[in-house]
Formats: sequence, C-alpha cells, structure tokens
Amino acid sequence: MNRPAPPPRRLGLWLTILIGLGAMTAWSGISIGFSVSELVCNAAGGSRLLRESWPPDFAFLPRLIGPFLETVQIALIGTVVGAVIAIPVAVLAARPVSPNWLTWILDRNFMNILRTLPDLFWAMLFATAVGFGPLAGALALSVFSVAVISKLFSESVEAIDLNLTEAVRASGGSWLQMIGLGTLPQVWPQYAAYVLYAFELNVRGSMVLGLVGAGGIGMILETQRANFEYERVTMIVLAVLVVVLLIEQFSIAVRRRLT
Amino acid sequence: MSATAASNDVMIRFRGAGVTYPNGVVGLQDVSLDIRQGEFVVIVGSSGAGKSTFLRTINGLTPLSTGTVEVSGQPVPRRQGRDLRQLRARIGMVFQDFRLVRRVSVLNNVLIGRVARVAGWRSVLNLWPRADVELAFSALERVGIVDKAYTRAGELSGGQQQRVGIARALAQEPEVILADEPVASLDPVTCHQVMEDLLRINRELGITTLVNLHFLDLARRYGQRIIGLQQGRLVFDGAGRDVTDADFQRIYGRRPEEDDFLQEAST
Repeated sequence: MNRPAPPPRRLGLWLTILIGLGAMTAWSGISIGFSVSELVCNAAGGSRLLRESWPPDFAFLPRLIGPFLETVQIALIGTVVGAVIAIPVAVLAARPVSPNWLTWILDRNFMNILRTLPDLFWAMLFATAVGFGPLAGALALSVFSVAVISKLFSESVEAIDLNLTEAVRASGGSWLQMIGLGTLPQVWPQYAAYVLYAFELNVRGSMVLGLVGAGGIGMILETQRANFEYERVTMIVLAVLVVVLLIEQFSIAVRRRLT
Repeated sequence: MSATAASNDVMIRFRGAGVTYPNGVVGLQDVSLDIRQGEFVVIVGSSGAGKSTFLRTINGLTPLSTGTVEVSGQPVPRRQGRDLRQLRARIGMVFQDFRLVRRVSVLNNVLIGRVARVAGWRSVLNLWPRADVELAFSALERVGIVDKAYTRAGELSGGQQQRVGIARALAQEPEVILADEPVASLDPVTCHQVMEDLLRINRELGITTLVNLHFLDLARRYGQRIIGLQQGRLVFDGAGRDVTDADFQRIYGRRPEEDDFLQEAST
C-alpha cells in the first residue's frame, strides 16, 4: 500500500491570519491610546497608591459583615428566582420535548435576548423601575440567572433518553407528566450543578452591581475608594477574595458529588 | 381460536391495517385478525418483520396509515389528545429496554402506571393519592419484588428491572398488556421467569396479553396462539402447540438457525 502524500502546508493562510490579527490589534491600540510608555511614566503614582493601600485596615473588617451578607443575599434571591423560572424556559426550548415548533422558536429567541444583554443593563433597567438598591440588583441577577441556567439546562434536557418519555406516554400520560415524570428526573443533578454555578457568578455579579448602587459590598468599596480610604479598600479586596474562593470551593465540591 | 370470533368478546380487532412510515418503509400491510379477551398471544418474525409496529398500533404510539384497529369496539384515535390518553390508560406496555427512570425509586417508577388516573399536578409534585400508592405496592407484590420498593431502579438487575416494568403496566389495571421483546435483553434463566410472570398474570387476572418474541422455542412453549409476521404481512395464525418447523420456515422465509433458539440450558 502506498503511503499517502503529506497534506499541503497552508503557509499562506496562516500568514494572512497572523497579519490580519496583528493589524486589528495595532488599529485598536492606536484608537484607544494604549501605550506602555504612559504606564511606565506613571509608575511612581501607582507605587504611591500601593504604599497608601498597605497595611489593610483590619479594624474595618467588622463593618464589612453586614454588606457582605447583603451581597450574598442579593445573589441568593437572584439565583432562586432565576432557577425557578429557568425550568420552564429551558424545557420549552429543548426541541425533542417542546410541545410545538412555534413555542420552541419563540422561547429560543427569548433566551437569546436575555443572554445578549449584560446584567449591568438589566440593573439600570430595574433601577429606573424600582429605584437604585438591593431590589434592582436582585431582579437583574434573576434575569441573568434565567439566561445562564436555561441555556445550559436546555442542552441537558435535549440529551435525555427519549424512550423514557415514551413509556410515560404509553401509560396515558399528558405532556406535563411526560416532562415531570419522564424528563426532569433524568436531569436534576445537572440542574443543581447549573444553579450552583449561577450562584457563583451571581456573588461576583452582585459585587459589581454594588459599584453602581445596588447595595452590598460593592457599594462600600465604591464609597471608600471615593474617600481615598485605600487601606480600607485593600481590606475589602482581601475579604472579597476570601469569600469568593470559599463559595467557589463549596460549589465545586457539591457539584463534583452531583455528577 | 378462529379469526372470526363472536364480536362480544373480541378485545382487539384489526381490519386491513397497514402502516407506511414517512421514509417509505412499510411496517405493516393489510393485517386483519381478532384477538379475544383473555388470550395470550405471541407474535414472531425476523427483525424488521413488523412485530413492534403491530403492537404499537394498538396503543397508538404508531398511527395506522390504512385500515382500522379497535380495542373493545373503540377505534384507536389517530390524533394526540384526551381520547388517546384514556385508551392508553387501559393498555399496559412492557419494553425490551425496560424504560425505567434509573435515578428514581422502584415505587415511583411503578406509579408512572397511574398517570392517566391522577391529576397532572399531583403526580408531578409526587403527591400520589394513598389508593394509587396501594395499587403500585400490590403490583410489586404480584411480581415478587415489593422489598425493592424504595431502591433506585438503576441499581436492580436486568430481570428485576423488567419485573418493575411489568408492575408499572399492572398498576394501570389494564385490559391489555403489550410486551415488546420483553426478554431480549435478559439471560436464559431470567427469560423464563419473566415469561412465567406474564403468563401467570394473564391467567390470574385475565388480562389479554400480546408478546413479541424472536426465540422460536420460547414462542412455542408460551404462545397459546402464535401470530407470524413477515415483511409486515400476516403469514401464520395458529395454536402454539401445533406450530412446526416448516411453519417457522415460512414465517422467517428461511430455515430456522441456532440463533433463533434460546438454547434452554436450565429448564
């Protein structure tokens, strides 16, 4: 048997891609005024900031507990509300179990719209409706959670064993029973994992939303920064680091046990 | 057991029944026969002969293209909806691959047999009425695995899972049980246990039972009546004890081979 000829090297193609990417980066850098020299020249200012930021103000720590709780509470509300709404949204967008083509296409597009708009946009939208504060933050994260969970979960639902749904239908079951008894029991572990993942994202999200007035630790961070209390800022950043890591480790440990 | 029984005890009636799938494959062609109340019927034929199609037309999982199927005088509805669900509630089905929700308890799997009699929201929220749970338990007792009621279905052996499948069908309190290759995934010993279960339930409760089988020796042993299908056509209809190797040759369109027998080692 003849050995096959090696496939042609597509040097030209790679070169074109490389030059194209390089040109795009250069264009972007010039447009936004990105320059390394400016960074180096201002290093002195940066180092002064760093000196003022150290040591962290541990005396400030007790006053962080309340805001931290609020941040986690905002994330929790957002996750729970989003997780409940995400179930029907995900099921209707899963082609094999969706009741008809029209429902499927409408729900798919609904999910795409939710996912395309960032959580900050939703926070602004709800802030105009209910005012800046924790409620607007929780509502924004609810929408964000629906977007995240329904996208992941509908893919799990699409991968279920459809033969089981036929067993429910053969017993005279309705569409609701086919979903509740034949479909969802197959994917609850994945669902729980996605909800935990959404909670992780929401804790971080609720800190960012705090920066724009949704309450919690983000808001404290913003006020301390505006008052040049850099030692307190460092304390907050360290505490955030620890809390986020703890929540992530907890979530990862539970998710590993689920799947 | 002639094909023209008196109409008052006919359970299932096929008249000119045919199925052509959307891809053009003919699954069933011009089948006319009667199955009487309480009969134990075995359907044989090589794979692709239309055995599954035949069973699935009875509960409307596969709609007929031509002709009619009636279950106790009522035509099988062609459209999805309440009528079809109510008919399916009276017909239990047992599958080759068991079709149990593996992560869920045996009891909850058997309760799926009660879906048509329980309000949708109650069943979905797992708030089954006491009487339906009782029915599920007695169905499990009848197949002898009530001790596994709270075990996850996926933890059982194949034979035990198929018994759960039978219990699920029984929980429907059905008039008819359709068993589509119920022993094809089981070892020889378990095969006989499951067939004995089906036969005993047929005798004790008088449930009309139709079983698809591809092993000829099992068909001859358990089929009080044997229906042979070849390429979707009815080619044999007679008593199990009368069936000869020549009949099998006609049904299969070839001489029976070793693979067509279970090779009874243990019974």
